[in-house]
Amino acid sequence: MSGGHTLATEIEGLVGECESLLGQASSFEALEALRVEFLGRKGRLAAVMSRLPGLEPEERRQAGAAANKVKDTLGALYLKRQDALARQAETAMLAAFDATLPGRAPAAGSLHPITIVTGEICTVFRELGFDVVTGPEIETDFYNFEALNFPPEHPARDMQDTLYITDATLLRTHTSPLQIRTLESTAPPVAAVAPGKVYRRDSDLTHSPMFHQIEGFLVDREVSMADLRGVLTYFLHAIFGRDTRVRFRPSFFPFTEPSAEADISCVICAGSGHAGTDTCRVCKGTGWVEILGCGMIDPNVLAAVNLDPEEYSGFAFGLGVERVAMLKYGIGDLRLFFENDVRFLAQFA
Amino acid sequence: MLLSLNWLREFTPFEGEAQVLADRLTMLGLEVEDIKRPFDGIKDVVAGRVLTREKHPEADKLSVCAVDVGGPEVLRIVCGAANVAAGQTVPVALIGTTLPNGLTIKKSAIRGVESCGMICSETELGFAEKSSGIMLLPDGVRPGQKIAQALSLDEAVLEVSVTPNRADCLSHLGLARETATAFGLPLASPRAAVSEHGPDAGSLIRIELPEPDLCPVYQARVIHGAAIGESPLWMRLRLLAVGVRAISNVVDCTNYVLMELGQPQHAFDLALIEGGVIRVSRAAEGQRFTTLDGVERVLTASDALICDGVKPVALAGVMGGANSEINDASRDVLLECAVFNPAVIRKTARRLGLSSEASYRFERGVDQPGSLTALNRCAGLIAETSGGRVLTGIASATASPWTETKLSLRPKRARRILGLELTDEFCRKTLTSLGCRVEAAKDALAVAAPPYRLDLTREIDLIEEVGRVYGLDRIPAKLPKVAKDLSTATAAASEFLLWARLRAWAKGAGLRETIGYSFVGDKDLDLFAVESAPRIPVANPLSEDQNVMRPALAPGLLLAMKNNIAQGNASLRLFELAKVFAKDAASPTTARESGRLGIVLTGERFAAPWPNPREDADYLDLKGLAEHLFASLGLPAPAFERAAEHPWLSPCVNVTLAGRDLGQLGRILPEVARAYHARKDVWCAELDADALCALLAARRNAFAALPKFPPVRRDLTVIAAQDIGAQTVIEAVWSINPKDLEEVILADLFTPEGAAQRNLTLRLTYRAKDKTLTDPEVDKTQAALISILTATLPVRV
Repeated sequence: MSGGHTLATEIEGLVGECESLLGQASSFEALEALRVEFLGRKGRLAAVMSRLPGLEPEERRQAGAAANKVKDTLGALYLKRQDALARQAETAMLAAFDATLPGRAPAAGSLHPITIVTGEICTVFRELGFDVVTGPEIETDFYNFEALNFPPEHPARDMQDTLYITDATLLRTHTSPLQIRTLESTAPPVAAVAPGKVYRRDSDLTHSPMFHQIEGFLVDREVSMADLRGVLTYFLHAIFGRDTRVRFRPSFFPFTEPSAEADISCVICAGSGHAGTDTCRVCKGTGWVEILGCGMIDPNVLAAVNLDPEEYSGFAFGLGVERVAMLKYGIGDLRLFFENDVRFLAQFA
Repeated sequence: MLLSLNWLREFTPFEGEAQVLADRLTMLGLEVEDIKRPFDGIKDVVAGRVLTREKHPEADKLSVCAVDVGGPEVLRIVCGAANVAAGQTVPVALIGTTLPNGLTIKKSAIRGVESCGMICSETELGFAEKSSGIMLLPDGVRPGQKIAQALSLDEAVLEVSVTPNRADCLSHLGLARETATAFGLPLASPRAAVSEHGPDAGSLIRIELPEPDLCPVYQARVIHGAAIGESPLWMRLRLLAVGVRAISNVVDCTNYVLMELGQPQHAFDLALIEGGVIRVSRAAEGQRFTTLDGVERVLTASDALICDGVKPVALAGVMGGANSEINDASRDVLLECAVFNPAVIRKTARRLGLSSEASYRFERGVDQPGSLTALNRCAGLIAETSGGRVLTGIASATASPWTETKLSLRPKRARRILGLELTDEFCRKTLTSLGCRVEAAKDALAVAAPPYRLDLTREIDLIEEVGRVYGLDRIPAKLPKVAKDLSTATAAASEFLLWARLRAWAKGAGLRETIGYSFVGDKDLDLFAVESAPRIPVANPLSEDQNVMRPALAPGLLLAMKNNIAQGNASLRLFELAKVFAKDAASPTTARESGRLGIVLTGERFAAPWPNPREDADYLDLKGLAEHLFASLGLPAPAFERAAEHPWLSPCVNVTLAGRDLGQLGRILPEVARAYHARKDVWCAELDADALCALLAARRNAFAALPKFPPVRRDLTVIAAQDIGAQTVIEAVWSINPKDLEEVILADLFTPEGAAQRNLTLRLTYRAKDKTLTDPEVDKTQAALISILTATLPVRV
């Protein structure tokens, strides 16, 4: 009787002792040690319970019931303390968490602004149904000049100072040869844009011996200059915004007739011609900036690719990518494009 | 072309503002780039009458003048010019006026006498380079009147950019014609009356055109008894306003008519023309001739020369000769007015780098019938300004007479091409106003182009004219339907889109895109030990740094690296995707152009010091990028093999796929890297972008079913000599072909300190397709593998 009672008392006594020790346990390691000490296979509760078989049945029942109860209690106390410690740890972690430390970032890459702008422009034309075509940068005189209606010794050749490879081959001065190459291989209807590098024998603050152009053309039956204006207006609105005004001004290119320059309202001063009280530097106060050359494909060019100008007509346009990029990003110096300073490159993505 | 508004008004009564004309000309295709105010610097200078002139009490060479400048007070002005005298009307800069030379007039005491202004010379007013004494103003000028007004100086001169097709607008008459058309104003004809005297010019000089293709027409007049001297003020000022330097009355007259009518002419000293003949013929190859600028030119057989009976006297259409030019002693003038073959003139002018006002116009074409008017106008002016007498008649020869160009314009077609609703009447009126003869024909207008419009040769040219005058800016915008042919459905494989994918990968992989010039210097390629034979030189390079097309991207990428190092950007991850060039005799362009993807890594691997280890990029970074490229584009993994040697990479690793060469990776030779200022290793890859694009375009992405049974993994540490490559061991494992082996990867690499061998830990994954493998099964396979591996390779396990 007394043995059972003693044992039950002893068992119940574990609760107070364990609770007190748990309260002092301040780490998960200490907590685990207590769990082993009290609840482990060789722990104190197990040691007490190992004495159960020696008791009278009634006592054993009481002691057993007490032991189970204590086991549950100790388990609950343990879990409670574990929770508390976990909460403490969480609180401590949150207190120490520094959201402002630098991240472990992969290296940042970037695309050259010329690539970005070329991509945007070609995307607009792809939406309109134009293909994107490319061709050689070293060209024959035939594709670069003659088929485009620049006869030999014609002053129009002076408009494009040329870098030659041989007498008959040269670095293309424009992407217009792609008009000829494409129309030679593809029967109308043809609509394409041709981006790429072009070369001129010219190098100063505003001219680079290499730069980028995009040529575009559409040849079909019944193509008019109104179609040209529609396509260019769509494109210029897509690139510079819907409020951009587009102006057509007569000009001259050997491979188009009529020829025009397309101007847009100045993107810097919104066409007002002045920035505050000063004259706008970009449009020099006119409110307009030249953006591209265009026109109806000259009948001689159509004839050069064996198309009957009475049956087919088409338009063509060409624009400088650097110029678009300079206007779009506010870049003032052409040379930056080819110096490849990463402090410049990193500004474009 | 500089256009004087006053001069223009001699031909058409345009009374509007310069800006209005500028805007309208610009919208006609004659872009006005600037409006100049050539005499703005003297706008405050007034006329003054010298009332009295007395000697300065303290200085012999100075005078003290009382000058009436129209104000209430008569000014006292000290003047140093010898020619000042009472009664003269002179230009006076008042106190506070700033002259073109920057001098601001202040009240000052000159040798004790107060001077309240300055009497100006032509030099001080910017009218002449040198002058003797003060300028005298013509009679009738009131004291106090602004001299700009008194002399009818130009307020505005328009700088017009004339396109190569519009030779007719390289003159005041031509631009007046455009102005008259645009504003609906009348157009006056040039004054070309000439009074003739004495013997017939044709009896003094005979014109011979033995080579008719050089010169369709050559006409000349003779002026006897010309006194060579300064041309009159009005002519000098007008030339000054349009940027032409005054030389002498005879030469100024030719320049004046050049600017007025667009016809270049040349004045010879008749006394220096021998043999009584002028002949236009080709130069002999290597012939030497000194032009009037004093430069001896070496000629070729394509140059046209004007010769007299014994010698060449002018480089036709480009520049006269020093041996026959007008000089102070000249009395009799032979005035040439000819038309030359544009292509011949252009070739000569370009080859000699000698573009003159004359050659510029002859290259673009001049008005052949109009040349007679110009000749008469010029002869008359010479007589007027030099006191000479124009001889009767014209010495001339015509090799090919002018023939009118007859064209037809269908207004319906004009409407169709322009997308504008133009009336037939508008077309007729516009072309007439531009100088065409227009008659109505069936469904069309019969149009004869005027001789000064050499650009009007086809119907489309007339369509441009009516559109231009109507206003191209009035064309409405209409979006066309873009019709496509079924055969165009291959566009997805276009180079543009494939390159875009390569660039997108590179950006995602943390590389920055650069764009370098396609040309580099031969000395760059020498440094890279590139062979000479396949190089493509540029025939007329801008500089030695850009005289050869690049055969590889590395030189350009290293240049980009050098630029960055100079700016303190030492850790670089760069890429470029571009064409490289090699000679190819079989190509129509003589070149083979290949797409290349180039990568350069140098300096620290991580941009940020924390929380990253401070390590420099190495081979594994570069190779990892190459592996990542193939993996992320869904291409099979390529093989990487040490190459024996490479001109600028050491070590160099070849990248191949199924035996196909795809490029190289490696470290730039240290001496090359140092030449580009690199202080650390530079790792560089060049991959064949064309091959990558072909693989991408051909790639078919097929799904493989996921495995149904779990894998069993075993690590295997192989101890091998340093020179046994990791890939050799892995391939040896595969070659044993263990049952159910799915994957072998290198899990760890450890070289014990001082050991000659290294420990390669391989992680082998086994998996059966049809069941769950048991440990004993795998242990058995692995044991067999180990015994074969150690037998085939000099390795231990």
